[in-house]
Amino acid sequence: MDLDLARRAQDGDESAFAEIVRRYSPRVFSTASRFFRQRSLVEEAAQEVFLKAFTQLGSFEGRGSLEGWLTRITTNTCLNLLRGSKRRPELTVSDLSEAEDQWLETQMSDDEQPSIENSVVAADLADRVLSVLSPEDQQALLMIDGERASVKEVAEATGWSEAKVKVRAFRARKKVREAMERLMGAKEKPATTESR
Amino acid sequence: MNDNHITEVLDNAALASLSPSELDEIRAHARDCEPCGNAFAAAQLAAFVIQERAQAVIEPSPFFQTRVMAALREQQATESVPAWLRLWNSARGLVSSMALTTAALAVFSFLTSAPATPPADQTVSALSAEAVILGQDADELTYEQVMSAIYEDVEDR
Repeated sequence: MDLDLARRAQDGDESAFAEIVRRYSPRVFSTASRFFRQRSLVEEAAQEVFLKAFTQLGSFEGRGSLEGWLTRITTNTCLNLLRGSKRRPELTVSDLSEAEDQWLETQMSDDEQPSIENSVVAADLADRVLSVLSPEDQQALLMIDGERASVKEVAEATGWSEAKVKVRAFRARKKVREAMERLMGAKEKPATTESR
Repeated sequence: MNDNHITEVLDNAALASLSPSELDEIRAHARDCEPCGNAFAAAQLAAFVIQERAQAVIEPSPFFQTRVMAALREQQATESVPAWLRLWNSARGLVSSMALTTAALAVFSFLTSAPATPPADQTVSALSAEAVILGQDADELTYEQVMSAIYEDVEDR
């Protein structure tokens, strides 16, 4: 089915390619959304993915799914787009917006599990914390811890070995936990922030 | 220092993937160990915000398919033009302006160029054998000549 659609699109059947775009754009968007929060950037990346996919349709052999093949192209395209972006060496409380700062304070003062008071603020804070990581490490952590994907699924989506995925996820988790711990520590003891 | 700190357990796997017994062990340890308690609290909050971030998915707009198909047609139209023609189209302006500038410079230099022959009164100055031996130009006066000219002038007065 996928192979037939790909071959027809490759032979110049425009409606076949339009069907590929219609069928798989939600998947491409969801993958690109891991890398970008702004709609314009996600759309730009997704468009590049489909244009690239069209020129590479001949290399799709139908062994895996077209969705998986497109996911891998999306991941590589987004990583390439992000390659030049700067990583934040360390995150401090002063980097947080007022809403994020307040959200963190509320979560810390509450003994219960974190509540979904404001998902957007939580996602914004996640972006801040994730900015200490490389795009590759972010990808591994978001897939495993955020989407509960298995190491094997991440390896298939990215083309990395399973060992590499495990190393990336471990390193990312540790860095994020430490960054969060520093933020929480700074919130608890504002007087000692400078000395830390 | 407690050897059984839980930080490595926290970093090794997603909190959501740990079994209830593993979580109980972590909680028990975190209660008695302050650094691990802080690490566990941070790991819980980090896991929560990451899950929130993972759910922030942008859906394709209804016009996305149309946009991609238009971009594809544009790309195909560009590719159908021969490479040399595309190169010429992009460089045409530059090449034309360079040719025009060269022609203008050629005309300008033709009109303003001076005659190449030297002036009639300009001759090669002959050097005396003495001047050549002493490494002096014929036009230059020796020290003695200068001194005698000064003395002659004084005597004339």
